[in-house]
Amino acid sequence: MTNAAAVPAPSSSHDRVGFSLNRVSVIGVNTLTEAIRQKVFIFLLLVGLVFIGSAIFFSQYSLGEQEQLKVIKDTCLGVISVISTLIAIVGTAQLLPSEVENRTIYTILAKPVRRFEFLLGKFYGSVLLLVLSMAAMCLMFGAVLWIKEQSMIRELSQTYLGETQAATEQANQQIEQVRIAVLDVNMVKAVLTDLVKAMLVASVTLLVSTFSTSLVFNVAVPFMIYMAGMLRGTAVEMWSSHRLAMAVLAIVPDFGLFSLADDINLGNLVPWAHVDQVIVYGLARMVVIVVAAHLIFSRREI
Amino acid sequence: MDAIRTEQLTKKYDLGWRKGRLLALDKLNLHVHEGEVYGLLGPNGSGKSTTLKLILDLISPTDGSAWLFDVPCNNVVSRLHVGFLPENPYFYRYLTGAETLVFYGKLCGMSGSSLKQRIEELLELVGLTRARDRQLSGYSKGMLQRIGLAQALIHDPKLLLLDEPTAGVDPIGSKDIRDLILRLKGMGKTVLLSSHLLAQVQDVCDRIGVLNLGQMILEGDVKSLISDQRRLSITVQDLPDDARARVEEAVRSAGASIVSVEHPQTTLESLFLEALKKDERGMGRHD
Repeated sequence: MTNAAAVPAPSSSHDRVGFSLNRVSVIGVNTLTEAIRQKVFIFLLLVGLVFIGSAIFFSQYSLGEQEQLKVIKDTCLGVISVISTLIAIVGTAQLLPSEVENRTIYTILAKPVRRFEFLLGKFYGSVLLLVLSMAAMCLMFGAVLWIKEQSMIRELSQTYLGETQAATEQANQQIEQVRIAVLDVNMVKAVLTDLVKAMLVASVTLLVSTFSTSLVFNVAVPFMIYMAGMLRGTAVEMWSSHRLAMAVLAIVPDFGLFSLADDINLGNLVPWAHVDQVIVYGLARMVVIVVAAHLIFSRREI
Repeated sequence: MDAIRTEQLTKKYDLGWRKGRLLALDKLNLHVHEGEVYGLLGPNGSGKSTTLKLILDLISPTDGSAWLFDVPCNNVVSRLHVGFLPENPYFYRYLTGAETLVFYGKLCGMSGSSLKQRIEELLELVGLTRARDRQLSGYSKGMLQRIGLAQALIHDPKLLLLDEPTAGVDPIGSKDIRDLILRLKGMGKTVLLSSHLLAQVQDVCDRIGVLNLGQMILEGDVKSLISDQRRLSITVQDLPDDARARVEEAVRSAGASIVSVEHPQTTLESLFLEALKKDERGMGRHD
């Protein structure tokens, strides 16, 4: 070490430490940087991208332009939904346990950082990871649709090349229908609700990891809660007369609400009002779960 | 005002269902004055790390209270003026030394040119300027310890809590850290040092406290604790044999007894450092 002169003190005139979004953001960005280095994340994202990319080949086994586009949309939205859910669970499950195990949490909480800021930062990092991975999958989805659209337009143009005026008009109509099917706003709605669903799953996983240090437990329990949430609608119908069952079901988020892909593939119009309702439901549940996670984490011995 | 004050601080850990509770810390009354270097000693499991964790509000006391500069430890404000180096610290291994300090600096609300300047000063202070852009995965144990010290100092705290700061560090690194602690003391910092290395504690600490099984069993000023008032040691150079016989006779005639007569020995650490200093290739450090 060198004989450096006494270092001047930075401004230390604070006598209060308020909640800081800046600290949350610093922890969040660091969490994202750490998460994208995980092999399991890279593996899941690659699997997602490969399946989305291969949808273009699966679609060739269907007859008709609309059917082929339907297969692509069905496959891609399904893959985005499954992979984002898995990333939400796996990417969030180890966030707190690894900080405790590596003892990096000691150096962070020894600074003027509130536990709530730390927890929120971790959740923010997890959300950033979801946004990033879903953006990558959506880009791939968009590219697949564009390639399919161009290929269909080329085929239709060649088929009707030099035909009668009526045939050309029919071709133009079909091309227009392809374009309408490709630029389906319902897909945006499906991706948005999937993102909120994945964030909700991440919040459930974060809640579980505030009281458990086992990675297996932190993955298995949120997955079971997710499955229970997917079947919640059916369970409510079956056990509506059982108070205890209804009380338990009231705690489990209704993940089935977020599945818009089926409606979209059946050609049903999903109104924005419904999407808004689902998003508000998801965000409200998420806030309650993060607050519950804070209440547990603030009392946890580290 | 005390930098650290604890009153009847007690911690019991639950051992699980039907296994009872472990008393890790028992009614500790600790007072660390501003500007002093205080050594917290004790064998493994004596309650040293529990004390540090309680002070940093990483765990909650079963009973009693603790304050940092008169601010209760469960108030986040108390951590404005504290820097902490945990035992065997782990950091984000993908960050470089400079990036690590940026991360911790931002957590302390620092930014811009003041943070940049502070980082350069600290890297210089801990001797890591040349390794600033290397990822921590490529740092040696001693270098990790030094970047740990730099992160603890990033917001220029008035109090430093160092948990085994030289654990696993070679004698050169250990001496560097010891020198740094003394330099920090010169800068008016208060240091609470938890260590097993008694010689090191003796060299740098003003006062010590010895914990055993959660209780403070000895506390006081280092010099007065280790000095033996009944014995006197005089070191002389080039004393002829006849003169030595006269000195021994004078001692005996005064009614005192000679306990031992021997040639003073250097310490192994001094010998080691002296040998490295003489090596023309310089001190063995790759940073």
